[in-house]
Amino acid sequence: MRRFQIGDRVSVRDATTLFHHRTQSYVRGRTGLVVEHRPEWLIPEDEAWQRDDGRVEPFYVVRFRQVDLWPNYTGLESDTVETEVAEGWLVPAAEETTS
Amino acid sequence: MSDDHDHHAPIEGGDEISEFDVLETAIRELAIEKGLFSAEDHRRFMEWAEGIGPHGGSRLVARAWLDPHFKQRLLADGTETSKEIGIDWLDPTGTGTPSDFTYFYVLENTPAVHNVIVCTLCSCYPRPVLGQAPEWYKTPHYRRRVVRWPREVLAEFGLHLPPGVEVRVHDSNQKSRFMVLPMRPAGTEGWSEDQLAAIVTRDTMIGVAVPRADWNADRAPTEVRS
Repeated sequence: MRRFQIGDRVSVRDATTLFHHRTQSYVRGRTGLVVEHRPEWLIPEDEAWQRDDGRVEPFYVVRFRQVDLWPNYTGLESDTVETEVAEGWLVPAAEETTS
Repeated sequence: MSDDHDHHAPIEGGDEISEFDVLETAIRELAIEKGLFSAEDHRRFMEWAEGIGPHGGSRLVARAWLDPHFKQRLLADGTETSKEIGIDWLDPTGTGTPSDFTYFYVLENTPAVHNVIVCTLCSCYPRPVLGQAPEWYKTPHYRRRVVRWPREVLAEFGLHLPPGVEVRVHDSNQKSRFMVLPMRPAGTEGWSEDQLAAIVTRDTMIGVAVPRADWNADRAPTEVRS
């Protein structure tokens, strides 16, 4: 069962990054939109240790607005970044502050 | 000066070898010693892998421009649809080599959205369809800047996108590999698949350029400019 559906707003956990994880610093702690589902994949935390029978999680394509990622973003409001995030790194979007 | 007999610039950094280079050499030599493959097997593989080039990607784009059903299949399942032009992402190793993985997604440019690909963590690239990545694609300079200042980086490549076009950067940080399906340019009406494929150059499928009817990468730029 997937926890998130397309169209859900999700935040990336700002969790510990002691080992291999592939969750970029520029998305950790940020909020975006689930735009696509990816298959269930072995997560990098286990794959890095060649644990082929390790933990498998659904992955998501999350779209972030550039203006939500970078201070003083110099492009346009419409610009975005998409990247793939494992379910364990995602939580429902926190109450949004009004802008 | 003492360079009378030496007109070549010195090769800088030629003696430097990274830890990964050492690791690769060590494992390769052990594998050859153990008989897992021969030195010639290895050479043949590298010759093949390094010679792939972007022509598979160009073919995919040209056919998608001509055949709406093919385009639909390509956008729905890039890995499977690549087989229709003879590219099997699982061949020859079963793990998608010469790419790392076998999840291939094609990103369609529209009048409203311009896609560009990067791997901010390393240098992931859709090698079965585009061959080896250009040097600049692998540099920290491109990787950290295109995700942060995409419009400026595209402008440095000569691509100025108007307001009203969303720039969408795709960071291939996990298992998927991406290729851009650019828009078919004006002036190509009635063209054959071969003619169209010729103008779909590597950079247009990375997303740092757009195809033009009067340009292909097989011609030297000076020849065209005159």
